[in-house]
Amino acid sequence: MSSQLFIQTVANAIAASGMLALIAVGLTLAFGVMQMANLAHGHFFMAGAYTVYALYALAGWPFWWAVAAAVAVGALLGLIVERGVFRPLQGDVVSGFIATAGLMFVFEVLVGEIWGWGLSRPIPSPYMRAFRFMGAAVAFQRVLVIPFAVVSIGGLMVFMRRFRLGRALRAVAQDPEAAALQGININRMTALALAIAGAYAGLAGGLMSTIYAVTPSLGGHIILPALIVVVVGGMGSIEGVTLAALIFGFVMTFVTTLVDGVTAVMVSVTVMALVLAIRPQGLMGRVVA
Amino acid sequence: MSLHSGKRLKGWALVPLAGGILGLCVLPFFVRAYLIEVVMMYFIYIILAQSYRLIVTVHDWQLYHVVLYGVGAYTSGMLAKSAGVPVFFAIPLGGLMAALVGVAITTPLLRTKGWGFYIATYGLAELIRLSWLKFRNPFGGSTGIIDIPWPPVVAGIDFSEGVPYYFFSLGVMLLVLYFLYRIEKSHLGDSFKAISMDPDLAASTGIHIPRHRLMACAIGGFFAGIAGGLLVHRLGAVDPKLFNLVTMLYLLIWVVVGGTKTFWGPIIGVSVMHTLFELSRPLIQVRPLFFGLSMTLVLIFMPGGIEGVLLKVVARWQKRNRLPTAET
Amino acid sequence: MGACDCAGCQDALLALWIDKMGETGPVAILEVKGLSKYFGGLAALKDVHLTVREGEIRGIIGPNGAGKTTLFNVISGMYRPSAGEIFYAGRRIDGLPANKIAALGLVRTFQRTALYHEFTVLRNVTVARHLHVRESLFQVIAGNLKQKERENTEKALEIIEFMGLKHLVDEVAVNLPHGYQRALGVAIALACEPKVLLLDEPLTGMTPTEKGHMIDLIRKVHGKDITILIVEHDMRSVMELCEYISVLDFGTLLVEGPPAEIQNNEDVIRAYLGTEDILTVGQS
Repeated sequence: MSSQLFIQTVANAIAASGMLALIAVGLTLAFGVMQMANLAHGHFFMAGAYTVYALYALAGWPFWWAVAAAVAVGALLGLIVERGVFRPLQGDVVSGFIATAGLMFVFEVLVGEIWGWGLSRPIPSPYMRAFRFMGAAVAFQRVLVIPFAVVSIGGLMVFMRRFRLGRALRAVAQDPEAAALQGININRMTALALAIAGAYAGLAGGLMSTIYAVTPSLGGHIILPALIVVVVGGMGSIEGVTLAALIFGFVMTFVTTLVDGVTAVMVSVTVMALVLAIRPQGLMGRVVA
Repeated sequence: MSLHSGKRLKGWALVPLAGGILGLCVLPFFVRAYLIEVVMMYFIYIILAQSYRLIVTVHDWQLYHVVLYGVGAYTSGMLAKSAGVPVFFAIPLGGLMAALVGVAITTPLLRTKGWGFYIATYGLAELIRLSWLKFRNPFGGSTGIIDIPWPPVVAGIDFSEGVPYYFFSLGVMLLVLYFLYRIEKSHLGDSFKAISMDPDLAASTGIHIPRHRLMACAIGGFFAGIAGGLLVHRLGAVDPKLFNLVTMLYLLIWVVVGGTKTFWGPIIGVSVMHTLFELSRPLIQVRPLFFGLSMTLVLIFMPGGIEGVLLKVVARWQKRNRLPTAET
Repeated sequence: MGACDCAGCQDALLALWIDKMGETGPVAILEVKGLSKYFGGLAALKDVHLTVREGEIRGIIGPNGAGKTTLFNVISGMYRPSAGEIFYAGRRIDGLPANKIAALGLVRTFQRTALYHEFTVLRNVTVARHLHVRESLFQVIAGNLKQKERENTEKALEIIEFMGLKHLVDEVAVNLPHGYQRALGVAIALACEPKVLLLDEPLTGMTPTEKGHMIDLIRKVHGKDITILIVEHDMRSVMELCEYISVLDFGTLLVEGPPAEIQNNEDVIRAYLGTEDILTVGQS
């Protein structure tokens, strides 16, 4: 591996980590608050990508407006899924999981029917420039996600600690019954968590849409790495998930560059199995008594 | 007697069952060859769904079941093709391999609870499936394996023909259903259900939960592997795409829409949903939308599935006729 | 206990009882030594010592959150102790899984109404006879199980009759009145053929009539040479049932003694003071 390729790969790995973290943080937040998991979460990411495709590449909106719309679309989908699926299935982990698995099909077909089943046209990059660093060129567009990931996740951590609403979210995650007794509206908290989850996935999808091949199966492809990150990081732990996103961003990018994408997934899954065999609750997960 | 009591089917309840089997026996002599192939797939899917239900009775909704089905298919196909093992021996060996793989990937996850368990099963399923994709030798990569031997001629009957293979797979399905039915009605079957209803209570009465979970996983995996063997020796080929998440979702759809509480739920599920699947061939693009939505809606509005609705009807009928209430 | 409740009589009775035990030698069937259990930094049990003799009915009382249920959970193997040792019939059992401990003959019931809601009464008990049903997988799939099943059902019916549930054999557990559900919980435990039975608040939520019935049942169970440990809030019933009582408070063993002594113990009264009056608890 030349130093040039190495630097490029590191840059890609950090970008991949940022994207994974943005997706996985929402998953784990939603899991923490309602103890239920959303298998259609990857499709929020896909929805974000298609929003940018439709508004920026097809309708000619400015790129940043389209990204803002992707965030809104993600949040809206989150609210719909919370209201339509998780609330009626409250507490039934298996049913919630399988019900959202059904949604995977629904989202995929809808997107495919509206925008076509094959590869969408490549989305023109709004930023053609590249960073030059020790002889390597790193495309600006590719690392765009990094500052967004840092700010959003840092912001979320501060929000969860410093703000009343964020603390209420944490209270619900720790002990829903006690939180309800303190007058916290649980339904409103799960809605908030799902909206944040959707918004973050939408943001990641919007930002990465110019890099990835945008197809209806994008959601199905991204969900496995995101789930691995959540399980390894520790369900419900934002810090753990961020750490795991960093680990798997590097593992997956380097293995993909050196070998291929299939091997990258295989290695990631193996790492996950090893972590779970040793620490069933994940790296930073709490042990449930 | 209601369908879902602890008691076995007896007396008059056996009549519709015998009628159904008889119907399946005469069916191939009255329909086109294409339809025979279609009905054969029902047999395979019923084995798959029913073996999955056994695992669901211990509440392990794992997501690697279709990959075990694939392990059975690959093992049986490769043994028959490369090692020259006779097809009728290769199929049970495929089942055995699937059981082994199932136990091997469940064991490290026994301590992982709830959601993490489901995700991890999905991850490990992908690991196996991607290894078929990755290692062209011996698995053939994305094109898979072709030219898998047909079953031989036994006692003058050529099992590579449609009708004999139809009867062969019908026989295998009935045998598998019989075994699973015996487990369902045995003390072991009740122990499985006890674990899913109240694991703490089950453990406090001496039930070794990890051992039972692995046992369910091995038995279910074995029969899933058998289903895979039946598939591969009819298709003559196998590739990794047959066993991806989409197939797993369809399996979930059959089982969820049919119901899992009684032995008959998955059979109802496959019969109804696969029929709809076949009928909706012209709408191939939007078909998954309908199926995905049906599963989501059934979970929200009809949690017991079709079976649950039938049970309610039966219960109401029994009430009206002052019969003792049904046991679920 | 005796007709008279004064401390003197009680002491005399106790002395008599200890004497009687002395003839055969008081055998400790369950011994808890220096047991502690921490959750995070919080101690639910701190250095608890407990010796239960064979054939005893031992009451364990204490204010809410004193660690009674945690003690049962640790003894029965649901939780691993943080420190300390547990001996059952001379054998060290701490750290063993719950199913193993049940197999040794130490069986617990639950504070919540734990039963298999969707099963009939009969099936609730037959499935709990797990330890005594020996079927191999081969037998299940291909063998003849009629004989074994008949034996199992007979034994289960015996237990059901013993617990006064015979008329409800085919009723689904979830439809039973609360009192019968609690009795079924005990029947499930009895199906394991225990030598020591841990009853976690067996009288919870019962009407006075149901309580009286349950107390009779517990006496009947005791009459089958089963040692009983009972955690209970209803002080009157505990005093009536138990020969000897251990009081837990804040995870430590406060005091032990016969009921009369416990009732008049300053520490015990202080532990309950401000929360509940020891003699009126359970009447509410």
